[in-house]
Amino acid sequence: MLYAVLAGFAGAGIAPLAHRALGRASGWVLAAIPLALTLYFASFLPAVSAGEVIRWSRAWVPSLGVVLSFELDGLGLIFALLISGIGTLIVVYAGGYLAGDPKLGRLYALLLAFMASMLGLVLSANLILLFVFWELTSITSYLLIGHKHESEKARKAALQALLVTVTGGLALLAGLLLLGIAGDSFDLPLLVARRDLIAAHPLYPAIVLLVAAGAFTKSAQMPLHFWLPGAMEAPTPVSAYLHSATMVKAGVFLLARLAPLLAGSVLWYGLLVGFGTLTMVVSAFLATQQTDLKRVLAYTTVSALGTLTMLIGLGTPAALKAAVVLVGAHALYKAALFMVAGIVDHKTGTRDILRLSGLRTALPITTVGAGLAALSAGGLVPFSGFLAKETTYAALIEFPWLLAASVLANAFGMLVALVVGWRIFTGESQVIPDDPGPVPVALWQGPLLLGIAGLLLGVFGWMGEGIVAHAASDMAGQRVPVKLALWQGFEFEALLALGLSVFTLLLGLAFYKAHGLLLRLATSLDWLYQRGPYRLFDLGLAAFVSLAKWQTQILQHGYLRYYILTVVVTLLPIGVLLAAPGSPVWPVTFGPVGLFETALVAVVLASTAFVMSTDSRMAAVAGLGGVGYGVALLYLSYGAPDLALTQFAIETLSVVIFVLVLYRLPEFRVLTTRAQRLRDAVIATSAGAVMTLLVLAAQSQSGASRVSGFFAEQSVPAAMGRNVVNVILVDFRSLDTLGEVVVLVVAALGVFALLKLRPEGEAH
Amino acid sequence: MGTSAFDAVIPVICVTLAGLVVLLAESFRKKQERMPLGGLALIGLIGAVIACVLLWDRNATSFGMVTADNYALFVNLIILTVGILTVVFSQHTVERDGLPAGEYYALLLFAIVGMMLMVQATDLLLVFLALETMSIAVYVLTGIRFNDARGTEAAFKYFLLGAFASAFLLYGIAFLFGVTGTTSLDGIGTVVAAQSMSGNPMILAAIALLIVGFGFKVGVVPFHQWSPDAYEGAPALVTGFMSTGVKAAAMAAFARIFLSSLEPMITDWAPVLWGVAAITMILGTVVGVAQTNLKRMLAYSSIAHAGYLLVGIVAGNEVGKAAILFYLAAYALTNVAGFAIIGLLGTKAAPNDDLRDYAGLWHTHPALAGLMTIVLLSLGGFPPTAGFIAKWYIFSAAVGSGYYWLAIIGFLSSVVSVFFYLRIVVMMFMTERDARPVPLPVAASAMAGLAVTVAAILYLGILPSRVIDLAAASISTVF
Amino acid sequence: MDTLLAVLIGALYAAGLYLMMRRSIVRLIFGLVILGHAVNLLIFAAGRLTRAHPPIVPEGAAALVPPYADPLPQALILTAIVIGFGLQAFALVLFRQAHRVSGAEDLDAMRTTDSH
Repeated sequence: MLYAVLAGFAGAGIAPLAHRALGRASGWVLAAIPLALTLYFASFLPAVSAGEVIRWSRAWVPSLGVVLSFELDGLGLIFALLISGIGTLIVVYAGGYLAGDPKLGRLYALLLAFMASMLGLVLSANLILLFVFWELTSITSYLLIGHKHESEKARKAALQALLVTVTGGLALLAGLLLLGIAGDSFDLPLLVARRDLIAAHPLYPAIVLLVAAGAFTKSAQMPLHFWLPGAMEAPTPVSAYLHSATMVKAGVFLLARLAPLLAGSVLWYGLLVGFGTLTMVVSAFLATQQTDLKRVLAYTTVSALGTLTMLIGLGTPAALKAAVVLVGAHALYKAALFMVAGIVDHKTGTRDILRLSGLRTALPITTVGAGLAALSAGGLVPFSGFLAKETTYAALIEFPWLLAASVLANAFGMLVALVVGWRIFTGESQVIPDDPGPVPVALWQGPLLLGIAGLLLGVFGWMGEGIVAHAASDMAGQRVPVKLALWQGFEFEALLALGLSVFTLLLGLAFYKAHGLLLRLATSLDWLYQRGPYRLFDLGLAAFVSLAKWQTQILQHGYLRYYILTVVVTLLPIGVLLAAPGSPVWPVTFGPVGLFETALVAVVLASTAFVMSTDSRMAAVAGLGGVGYGVALLYLSYGAPDLALTQFAIETLSVVIFVLVLYRLPEFRVLTTRAQRLRDAVIATSAGAVMTLLVLAAQSQSGASRVSGFFAEQSVPAAMGRNVVNVILVDFRSLDTLGEVVVLVVAALGVFALLKLRPEGEAH
Repeated sequence: MGTSAFDAVIPVICVTLAGLVVLLAESFRKKQERMPLGGLALIGLIGAVIACVLLWDRNATSFGMVTADNYALFVNLIILTVGILTVVFSQHTVERDGLPAGEYYALLLFAIVGMMLMVQATDLLLVFLALETMSIAVYVLTGIRFNDARGTEAAFKYFLLGAFASAFLLYGIAFLFGVTGTTSLDGIGTVVAAQSMSGNPMILAAIALLIVGFGFKVGVVPFHQWSPDAYEGAPALVTGFMSTGVKAAAMAAFARIFLSSLEPMITDWAPVLWGVAAITMILGTVVGVAQTNLKRMLAYSSIAHAGYLLVGIVAGNEVGKAAILFYLAAYALTNVAGFAIIGLLGTKAAPNDDLRDYAGLWHTHPALAGLMTIVLLSLGGFPPTAGFIAKWYIFSAAVGSGYYWLAIIGFLSSVVSVFFYLRIVVMMFMTERDARPVPLPVAASAMAGLAVTVAAILYLGILPSRVIDLAAASISTVF
Repeated sequence: MDTLLAVLIGALYAAGLYLMMRRSIVRLIFGLVILGHAVNLLIFAAGRLTRAHPPIVPEGAAALVPPYADPLPQALILTAIVIGFGLQAFALVLFRQAHRVSGAEDLDAMRTTDSH
């Protein structure tokens, strides 16, 4: 199974090359990859329908508990078939749609990579693996959406889509992590077995919230739906693939996958049913407010996703069964309709439903495909869409309010089906400017085949009962009986559902009559739509960026001295620690004070004060020398002649260098205000006081060096030296000295490099 | 190979010799004569790599203050890899910008010497010396475009703050010495463990000063302020080098000191580092959002990454220690590649490092744009790249030690950071092809190096097991 | 006496830090130098102070005769002094270079890296 997924990625790798070699026929040839995968997965149909679950696993990162494990069950198989099957048609379609586009090879690669990621997602049996593929779908889909569009608007839409889904993805990661902690494993089947443990875990609410957030962003649930219509800027083959059958269903798939673990609480139920229902109704209505063909379809997709979320949230066997049927039926007709929208766009150059009519003469075969798909979308007998609607109604009978909402949403859906499948094809034939000629097979094959598939699956629905039953059972955690037939018999539920179907149909027709009115409503409600979540998101983002900019100005002002100030102020709390009563600093005692030392200290202090106050550089350098020599004499008086000698030597050198470098530069200027100087003086003095306290504390400790005893004893016998400091430097710790030399060498190299290269213009 | 007192320093010696040879060659070079100085540097670095591999598992020590345990070797291999990649990418840039090749490569090598010694040092004094060696070399490298006002300014600021910070480190060492009477890490560890030092203001002050000193080099808030300026002002390749090598070396020494010698005091310093890590992650990402210059953006990103690394130290458990090593490896590869791409896209006249300069890169340089995308995804912590595994690893360490909030903060800041990484991706992939001049064609060697690096990033992301096991094995010999 | 030295160290720190917060770059370098002295004295003071007994083994003795000044901090300071000198030289040259390239003497003029 890993190889099936890898095959997709490998296909992505060779796609650009294949495209270059094959030219126009490349789409047909490359479609062989998804086709082979479709056949491969189809070969599992009998086994999975019989209830088998095919597993495959290998160790991957054992130390992190990540196992490469795949699982093919009913749910996974249905998704896998949809992904690879529709993928086949899309690859061919893309070849026709973007024929001659120099970037077509790249598009193939991305499509195949996306397909492989989707397959990986639906087959994963390990949470981490699932997340990896989840993110891969986000990234590849982003690259697909951004394939062609170069306008500012498209870029914004793409960034938005990406941010929303990626943020959702991270929420999901957090949820999965917590789930892993709660269940002490990342293995899905194992977690299902521990569902009681998880439900009782204190992290459970957080898990549900985070997982739902991830799923809702991906599956465009309100109010996080706004990125999907925006993403319609993508080329149509991409929309047809991502936004009908695959990527947006990933969120639904995730909920379905995790339902056996997480379902059963009020939180889960409330979240899914609440947001699902809201999404279902509101976006179905919003679909009627659009005039762009693709946006119309996008909103109906959101509505269908809402229905699915609601059904999964309900979690009754009937609801889960309906969810499975709806997933399949919706994918088939929605992909077909998107492809139709693409063909119309391709042919006429517009997607505005108000400007399209009478296309049946120009696009005869497309009309057939569109008609079939629209009939399924409208939920008419004997199409698969009918089965989906019937099972949904049957599942909702116990919940009258949800049922009413569903009928309303379906009626709006009916209206859209009529617009897409009827309105633009009938009526007066329009004159097509810049007619690109007859539509190639590559384009019309998709809608036609999908339309026929929708019909066949409706008529022969009973053949899929096994797999649907297993898929629903996987979700429910119990056996779900499934009967899929156009005629369900004379039971009350069946008759009621049928009655409602008829009612939906009539209501839909009524809405169709009132379409003009609905569109006029759209113009008057425009102010509201301009303030939707889309706008809010934009504003939020802008606010965040300005916050960040403001912060930068405060923190990253570029004034070096304030950077230093920050650090010094950060360190002041140590002083509080030291000055606290009970610290070893207290009591401070002044031991006997020697006259010589006192005089030295006074000299050093006076020199320092002079350095700080003088206006002349040269005078300051002299003062600095005074500080250095004073310190050297202090060393001498405290039994450190070596230090004193070194300090003398270095100090002399320093003064020379200072004079050389500073000689020709101007005098000091006073650059700061009095208030600034005062502030700095206060801070510096406090820091100085902290240091004094530190030294006092250090002296109060038994400061004797533990190793010095060793040096004191070993200096003569081991190293034949009487000056212990020297012995330490050249013998016991010679490596330090070597390091010191290296530091000096590097510093010298730096000095040399700086001096050697003069600025341009001074070179001669 | 027999054992001798010099075993542990053989890798360092290899690099030092290469540095000296480069200097010699440069001084004998006639004007306008071309010399394969980069090749010489590479030989030394590869020699050091081989030496590191041979020393694996031998736990060699030299002079009682240099160790070649697996921990040090692991980090040194990262540093050497960074060095090799930098040299490979540099050849193009050095010629293009007319940098002084001899000094450039020599300083690069000496900086590596300092880094390696810093990681291997088991004596605080040597840590300090190594840090100075590394720092001075990097200061000069930062301003190596001597005629560039920005570069010189950046070098100047970096140097002054760096020297200031080194002073803090030195005070810290002095105090630690004052309390424990030794500068050897083992010795300090023994004293600290034997006596109850908790709450002793002296040692707390010493720890605070050490945190400041290392915090500077690693670039954590509030000691990070030099890094955006320095990173932007330096040539992109040098930025790549110092944002990874310096950070890796300083982090490794930091972790060694705090997690071995000062481990008994973990309850005293962990809360401080907790706060530092949290604020670093938050600030690094939030301020990063405001940037439009790519180098600056990545500078903030590397501040945030320093915060993530600190999370590993705070966690302090076995997982955390191994995670630091893995994170360093992942981060080093990613950042070097990122800055290399920025560097390759620049020209002598214009650095081309503004966000706008990346508009439509996918259309003009598809290969570079593709590689950059993977790099950015890795920085953002997306699967299937090294960055994902690294973050995963480090956060699971935090969770394992019960630091849930730290993990959550890290997590949220990752979410925010996504914004600025993806903004670059968006810019590259979908934007109008404007009339900007197309940058120079990229050298084949650099392209190959990049491809290998990105392949390694993906390798660490897809098949991380081997390296994770190595990291876990490396720490078992030290802590 | 030790306390006097502690006060001196504190004063040197205060002076050094104050100078480092100036806008004039030369003052900043002076500040760095004074800080260097402060660090060295601090390390010195952290070891035990013993007046006038250099750690030199007298002729004829096999080891140091107490009381003697602690030799290890002295070795440390020697290192610090030398490195400080290297840094100082480098700082000056870097300053000269910066002055040449940008003509800046005022630190606040060095903000080009923060043009955003």
